[in-house]
Amino acid sequence: MDTFIQLVIDGLALGSVYAALALAIVLVNQSTGLINFSQGAMAVLSAYFAYVLIGWGFPTILAILGSIVVSFLLGAIVERLLIRRFEGGDPDTAVVVTIGLLTLFTGIAGWIWGYNNRQFPSLFPLETVDILGAVVSVRSIGTTLTIVGIMVVLQLLFQGTKLGLALRAVAINPSSAAYSGLPVGRLLMIGWGLAAALGAVAGALVAPALTLTPGMMDTALVYALAAVIIGGLNSPLGAVVAAWGIGVLENLAAVYVPFIGYDLKIAVPFIILFVVLLVRPQGLFGRKVVVRV
Amino acid sequence: MNRMSKLLSNTWVRVAVVVVVAALLLIAPLVLPVFANQTLTRMGVYAVAVLGLNIIMGYTGQVMLGQIFFLGVGAYVTAYGVNNDWNIVVTFFAACILPGLLGLVIALAAARLGGLAIAMVTIALPIIGVPLAKRLTDLTGGSQGTSARFSSAPDWTGLDNDQWQYYMVMVITVIGFVLAYNLVRGKFGRAMAIVRDNEAVARSIGISPYRYKVMAFTIASIFGGASGFLYMVAVQYTSPETMSFAHSISLLAAMVVGGAASIAGSLIGGVYYVLVPQVTNAIDPTVTAISQGIILVAVLFILPGGLVSLPRVIRRLTRKRDTAVATSPQTTSPMHQDAGQAAEGPETERQGQS
Repeated sequence: MDTFIQLVIDGLALGSVYAALALAIVLVNQSTGLINFSQGAMAVLSAYFAYVLIGWGFPTILAILGSIVVSFLLGAIVERLLIRRFEGGDPDTAVVVTIGLLTLFTGIAGWIWGYNNRQFPSLFPLETVDILGAVVSVRSIGTTLTIVGIMVVLQLLFQGTKLGLALRAVAINPSSAAYSGLPVGRLLMIGWGLAAALGAVAGALVAPALTLTPGMMDTALVYALAAVIIGGLNSPLGAVVAAWGIGVLENLAAVYVPFIGYDLKIAVPFIILFVVLLVRPQGLFGRKVVVRV
Repeated sequence: MNRMSKLLSNTWVRVAVVVVVAALLLIAPLVLPVFANQTLTRMGVYAVAVLGLNIIMGYTGQVMLGQIFFLGVGAYVTAYGVNNDWNIVVTFFAACILPGLLGLVIALAAARLGGLAIAMVTIALPIIGVPLAKRLTDLTGGSQGTSARFSSAPDWTGLDNDQWQYYMVMVITVIGFVLAYNLVRGKFGRAMAIVRDNEAVARSIGISPYRYKVMAFTIASIFGGASGFLYMVAVQYTSPETMSFAHSISLLAAMVVGGAASIAGSLIGGVYYVLVPQVTNAIDPTVTAISQGIILVAVLFILPGGLVSLPRVIRRLTRKRDTAVATSPQTTSPMHQDAGQAAEGPETERQGQS
């Protein structure tokens, strides 16, 4: 029983990292209709920013906050300079651009910092606490709570502020939003910036466990995409719930299903995904998108 | 310039060009050094993989990120067949059909969700494929990989191994390209194009986008499997690393740089896939990934049709300059635009935001 609780809480922590990335993907998809395949690579760059700041002697929390700010700017710049040109055109081209950015950002990280693993300090103490007899690391709890906190803030931003209202308007109908005087371009930049900032959080949370490498987020990106499909592309809540579900289930499967084990646990979300796509292709929480011709 | 294009449109000149190129390709391995032959052979291998990717992505418009997985499966099937003394022809067909079946099953699920679902599902294939190949030690040889020596030159040919491998790969590559050319020129190709351009229109004239996406995906994976067989002919060894995520992205980059929805572009893609890493690795291995990213993004910005559209773009630019003084500025007629060319161009396909 205690192993079970421990696995569930560690799974939630893992799932929280996927959730942060999945939220970033949903955010971009909501505002531009794109899937940003470079979201993970941008998160890696953010983690390296934080790594550099820590190297300069900043405390970990300040370094991470700094990298979040830098990432916000990076996301906004990427949207303005690169993605803007392909918006409104063929979506496939824009997606290929993000795949190019995935290689580019991974390449930049590898070029500057090399491909060796680097240690990244944890934001949370390495202690453990007892919960119902199970030994649970503070890091897992902290990671999960951080994501819950971010979700609340995002929810407040989108539902309770004027900026959130404007962002939602652009997501629903960019041309009408433009007619009513909203600065659509600037709002899209903010959307991408927010997504990149979320990615920075994901990067900082996962880097201590995985150690910092340019390809650190490749796997997390795949999990996040699976979560996005399972939860529904247009449902932030669905994506987070799906990400947690994936994190918990894969952890349980790794221990209780001998064939899967730790090396094959990445197959778990895709078995779920397969079933979901066959039974409910719009995702568990998603709405069916109807395209008018 | 004008005289040049007139010359090229002459049928006899075209035939002559084809004959000369074919002769060069046949003679090349006999005179080139071993390393050049091996490089050319690998270009053929990857050209087939890029060709398959082009069928699903360029012609049918479905972004696919897992083509390397099917290449890997094809390579493993080949190795397994050779090591269990299957007939080589049986091995070849098994290396095509098994990846094809896998592709069919994956596409049946992935194509259910429209839009980018195929991209989002197939990105997982190499990432699952690598640990899976490591796990299935009995079939794949685990992390060490497996080798299969079956492409040594028979004695009666009097050829060296690299020459024999070159010819084997070239024959299958040419057959693959001819098949693909006929496929995309025919009824099936037009159906794929309409699925790419407008699914609603496709549906209204009785073409099921779902069915054509699944079929195109299956064909792409069969080509992937065939290129896996060729990979084994050329390299004679495969390991889980063969189907790593980075290779999968490179394959996609090669397709876009070569030219989406273009048969010749697939060939250029194969050349690009082999040549550019060789050059960048020689300069500095750490710049390989970054240069690939820069090239891909730059091509999308400057030359969305890929390298294969370069002559057309140059011709259009020069013609524009010629006629700008003369009469109307409207020079490029849509007639000259190859139907497939529109695939990746941001200027085309600007559908109304509704």
